[in-house]
Amino acid sequence: MTAANTAIRLLDVHRHFGEVRAVDGVDLEIADGEFFSMLGPSGSGKTTVLRLIAGFEQPTSGTIELAGKDITGTAPFERDVNTVFQDYALFPHMNVLDNVAYGLRVRGVKKTARRQQAMDALAMVRLEHVADRKPAQLSGGQRQRVALARSIVVRPKVLLLDEPLGALDLKLREQMQVELKQLQRDLGITFVFVTHDQEEALTLSDRIAVFSEGRIVQLGSPSEVYEQPVNEYVASFVGTSNLFDAEAARAVLGAEGRFALRPEKIHLVAPSASAGGPQAKGKVAETIYLGVGRRVVVDLEAGPQLVVLEPSTTEAAVKRGDAVLATWRTEDLVRLT
Amino acid sequence: MTLSPLTRGILLGFTGMVLLLMYTPLLVVVINSFNPDPSMTWPPEGFTGEWWRKAYHSAGARDAVLTSVQVAIVSTLISLILGTLMAFALQRFDFFGKHSVNLLVILPIALPGIVTGIALNNAFRGIMGINLSIYTVIVAHATFCIVTVFNNVIARLRRMGGNFEEASADLGAGLWTTFRLVTFPQLRSALLAGGLLAFALSFDEIIVTTFTAGSGVTTLPIWILNNLFRPNQAPVVAVVAVVLILVSIIPIWIAQRIAGEAENIR
Repeated sequence: MTAANTAIRLLDVHRHFGEVRAVDGVDLEIADGEFFSMLGPSGSGKTTVLRLIAGFEQPTSGTIELAGKDITGTAPFERDVNTVFQDYALFPHMNVLDNVAYGLRVRGVKKTARRQQAMDALAMVRLEHVADRKPAQLSGGQRQRVALARSIVVRPKVLLLDEPLGALDLKLREQMQVELKQLQRDLGITFVFVTHDQEEALTLSDRIAVFSEGRIVQLGSPSEVYEQPVNEYVASFVGTSNLFDAEAARAVLGAEGRFALRPEKIHLVAPSASAGGPQAKGKVAETIYLGVGRRVVVDLEAGPQLVVLEPSTTEAAVKRGDAVLATWRTEDLVRLT
Repeated sequence: MTLSPLTRGILLGFTGMVLLLMYTPLLVVVINSFNPDPSMTWPPEGFTGEWWRKAYHSAGARDAVLTSVQVAIVSTLISLILGTLMAFALQRFDFFGKHSVNLLVILPIALPGIVTGIALNNAFRGIMGINLSIYTVIVAHATFCIVTVFNNVIARLRRMGGNFEEASADLGAGLWTTFRLVTFPQLRSALLAGGLLAFALSFDEIIVTTFTAGSGVTTLPIWILNNLFRPNQAPVVAVVAVVLILVSIIPIWIAQRIAGEAENIR
């Protein structure tokens, strides 16, 4: 990656609050036009990294570059990045149009021109009809889209999104995910998206950084992060995994080390069936119907429990108490560090 | 909560009595300002506008009103600026002794006026060697007027949070632009409410004023006190009192309405 197409670069960035190391040595390069997600539980440092990029926080040490230029130490209003806040932060005393036009107004754009541009931005999120309303009169989803319009109207190089969908209900969230993705493609702006929702990160992103305790533990494409988690933390935080510690690995897999196995990679067959490859005998402890499939918990003879995700098309569904043989492919077993 | 009819009756009776006790004297003052008998015998036997005319032409009363208005406006302005700055300091920043400062700012409104009066009188004349004048009255009034502004502004800031200012900075606005376009408009009603209360407080203050006013500085309450017991001035005092009631009630009423509207918007 060369400097020309790097939107944001973080070099050994630290941010300490007294004894707490909120961000503890983060190196990061985000490419131009990328949809980049920072994933992690609350307190993992992802939001602080976002605030460091926006300029609301200054790093204790380290450098932040925007498009190859060092912006460490500059104020938020000097940075060509915009933020969509978790609680939207729409100005309550202005109507929707004035909210959206705000960034243009403080840049000295003439009234008629900025109104036109603001209406265009509102059109992009299909909200021209609420231009005269106050934020308090909008629904949560509408406020979310107004906040988006307000940020993109000034055409920043980078748009930072701090859990923007967190306050919306499931249906709306899924709809907004699609809209976000389309918007990002249409505008070609780099999106840096903070979320604790691993599914959201997997669906939307070009690349994901998984955060833990102020550090990036894994950085890669959604499929890399999902298929090849580097350690137990990533394997259990991104999706669900069957984790084998050293003892379980020896007993079940006959191998040294620690491993993860995704529930959907395991198949259950009758114990009498002859199957090659890795396998383990067990008894069905529980089955849970999920709609798209069935989650089956198997007590293995070798000791540990195994969670299996069976597609709902499986004809002969296993029942509680059935003896089964769990099989999987060797390459689906992920060795953890 | 449901109350038994008896409890409700008793409470209603008490409320009525308290209100009656509070407002009947005010009503008597209003009526007396139209009482043709200069010694204000009750009940009045007729109606006259004579006292209102006399009060209007009384140079002493007019000067007193003017002095009071000047003192109230200037001390309100001082409290608006200092009270707002203080509210920002205490709401936005953490520093050593923050809670003590908070208490010290609010204390003057709880302190007995006589204590404030004596203390300031000593401070001005004894320690600082300043002659008492209209300016000492203004400073003295500002010490407790600040509290109303401070309380209103800090309550608003607490509800606002810092997010709007971050959003404004994020969209490219500098500090001053952010204050002008985002912070101030949201503080406006709090400032108005606090300012009106401060004005009303200053306008009818008498104790602290007595101790801090220079010779020749006569605010309206002091003028009333001086003239109340002069037989031929009594009706004019009643007229001035009515004016004072109006001047005090109107700002409070507006302040309350503003505060109420601000609640409804949110």
